[in-house]
Amino acid sequence: MKRIALLLSLLVPITLLADETCMSPYMAKIVGQEDFVYVWTLGVVGIGDEQDKLVTVSVNPNTDSYGKVIHSLSVGGRNEAHHSGFTDDRRYLWASGLDTSKIFIFDVHTDPAKPRLHKVIENFVSMSGGVVGPHTSYALPGRMMITGLSNNKDHGGQTGMVEYTNAGDYVATYWMPRDGALNGAEKSGKFAGGYGYDLRAFPRRNVMVTSSFTGWNNYMMNIGAMMASPEAMAQFGNTVVIWDLHARTPKKILDVPGAPLEIRCAWGVKNNYCFTTTALTSEIWLIYEDENLEWQSKKVADIGDASKIPLPVDISITADDKLLWVNTWNDGLTHLYDISDPHHPVQLFEDKIGEQVNMVSQSWDGQRVYFTSSLLTNWDKTESTGADLQYFKIYDFDGKKLEHKLTIDFLAEKLGYPHQMRFGAYSLYGMKAPQEVSLSSAS
Amino acid sequence: MRLLPFLVLTAAVVTVDIFAAPHQRQVNAVLAPGYGDLEFIPPAPGSYRLPVLGQAADAKLVDSKGDSLTLYDLIGDKFTLLSFIYTSCSDVNGCPLASYVMSRVQRRVMTDEALKDLVRLVSFSFDPANDTPEVLEQYAGHFRKPGSDWHFVTADSADELNAMLEAYDQFVIREYDQEGNLLGSISHILRVYLIDHNREIRNIYSVSFLHPDTVINDIRTIVGRNLAEIVAGNYPGNPREE
Repeated sequence: MKRIALLLSLLVPITLLADETCMSPYMAKIVGQEDFVYVWTLGVVGIGDEQDKLVTVSVNPNTDSYGKVIHSLSVGGRNEAHHSGFTDDRRYLWASGLDTSKIFIFDVHTDPAKPRLHKVIENFVSMSGGVVGPHTSYALPGRMMITGLSNNKDHGGQTGMVEYTNAGDYVATYWMPRDGALNGAEKSGKFAGGYGYDLRAFPRRNVMVTSSFTGWNNYMMNIGAMMASPEAMAQFGNTVVIWDLHARTPKKILDVPGAPLEIRCAWGVKNNYCFTTTALTSEIWLIYEDENLEWQSKKVADIGDASKIPLPVDISITADDKLLWVNTWNDGLTHLYDISDPHHPVQLFEDKIGEQVNMVSQSWDGQRVYFTSSLLTNWDKTESTGADLQYFKIYDFDGKKLEHKLTIDFLAEKLGYPHQMRFGAYSLYGMKAPQEVSLSSAS
Repeated sequence: MRLLPFLVLTAAVVTVDIFAAPHQRQVNAVLAPGYGDLEFIPPAPGSYRLPVLGQAADAKLVDSKGDSLTLYDLIGDKFTLLSFIYTSCSDVNGCPLASYVMSRVQRRVMTDEALKDLVRLVSFSFDPANDTPEVLEQYAGHFRKPGSDWHFVTADSADELNAMLEAYDQFVIREYDQEGNLLGSISHILRVYLIDHNREIRNIYSVSFLHPDTVINDIRTIVGRNLAEIVAGNYPGNPREE
């Protein structure tokens, strides 16, 4: 009887949690309403202190500070701030710079309203053996996997992934497979360029998926000059790589022409597929495991009019795997696709968010959608002015349409160019909100 | 041992949100892979590297017999699987998962001539106030087979506990009700460590990654190629590892 009693105690249900849908799934999530959005922001010459900074926005509508910047932590220079990711215990946020290859590790648990700089990794290039441009910070158990975009030999697109412990100690480098150095991978199509960009993982299938963009020479170049250069435009990745997650070895290189960027994988336990979008050809591609347990890639939809170069950037999949937000940076549109049939996405609507739009993050329940504008310092638009150029925006989503709630003009606030967003909450750390505010997540 | 079959049976019908923060989970999603068969063929032992993830820290412990010892004493020259648990944990994908998977590893190790004298299992409780030696011994009875090399321990002081949690990056939160009363439950991120005979951490497993098949393969990988020599007490080092 004692054993049965023990078992019953094991099976007692406890409460629900939620969070944005774009992170490593193997970490804690936020209950319902998030309290903060951390915006990793590019420092810009002539704007405020001109430094990269982590900007904390209060986003809980039940607080007096809702919609306000409540904290800003500058990191002492400009690094081409770009992406960020939490450790698996969500106590630290790793945010990297594509230009300087520095990685800033912020403590977001001691006081979630006021992140503090915990550590800076300054030897990423030398320790990794030449990887440049840390991009995605992806949580694995007790460690972080960082994708690179470039290398220190020619600053082109051949690159690798770099593994660290949560403490910030270097573990290993894994180079992207390429012609002449496939490292055991099967080249299933025409391309094997060795490029890198984003990363997601399916532990239940022992699969890691990486995408491909371009090297330092291009992402730090003026976008007009780059697009006018056939040589530069030839230096983009055209592949997605399937890895053995446990062994950290590449297994299969899939053709996905046109610079496949963000990867978002389905959440359902039977849904062994991911989506990516191609920046140069404006398409949605499905990366999926077929009935023979072979991973494949195929184009499943167009995004806008490719001849107008809408430039798909960030995407976000809903927690039920039924909807996919797709931002096109150049025209400032967000597109919502029905992906109930992942092989045949159907666009439901598109909506203008701003002069340009890059990142999109949604709450786990999908009811709140957040957007920021910036792509890269030397690619961002500068010709227009006003709150729709460099912004952080909050929308409500009722399942059919977006309702704009709030805009923070990052230029008017003298902050810089806002890039990636990550959510924070007191409840993650067993904390209650301070007395002067009442937060629903703590109730 | 009725517990293990019961857990396997419930795996088909009970689902828990394994992605949720431990203190705020609901029965809603999926039981952890460690309760069932692995959905993939893991890479063969020795076909991959397990780079060193750092040095395992020492700590002063008390075991389920009430005896004092250190973690280094316990690790000795063994390949050690170290889990962080507390015995009243009610999250089926938390501590019970760790203990269940370790029990499956235990069975495999005990019947493997090459491994049975090389591998040690250690379950460390981060709730010494409640997990007294007597409670640990009772808990061990649910999982430990007679003759197995599995130790149930806790810290011998609050300072040792805090140092242990810090060293192993184990974030725990004691949970309170609305009135501020301790509930007795502790939120934590499940972590199980694989530590080699040099006290170096070689892998860390969490809910989605912890499975006896991969653990056994990892042990075989870091033990090295020449198991016969190891068993004979003539350990040649670890020829496959840098």
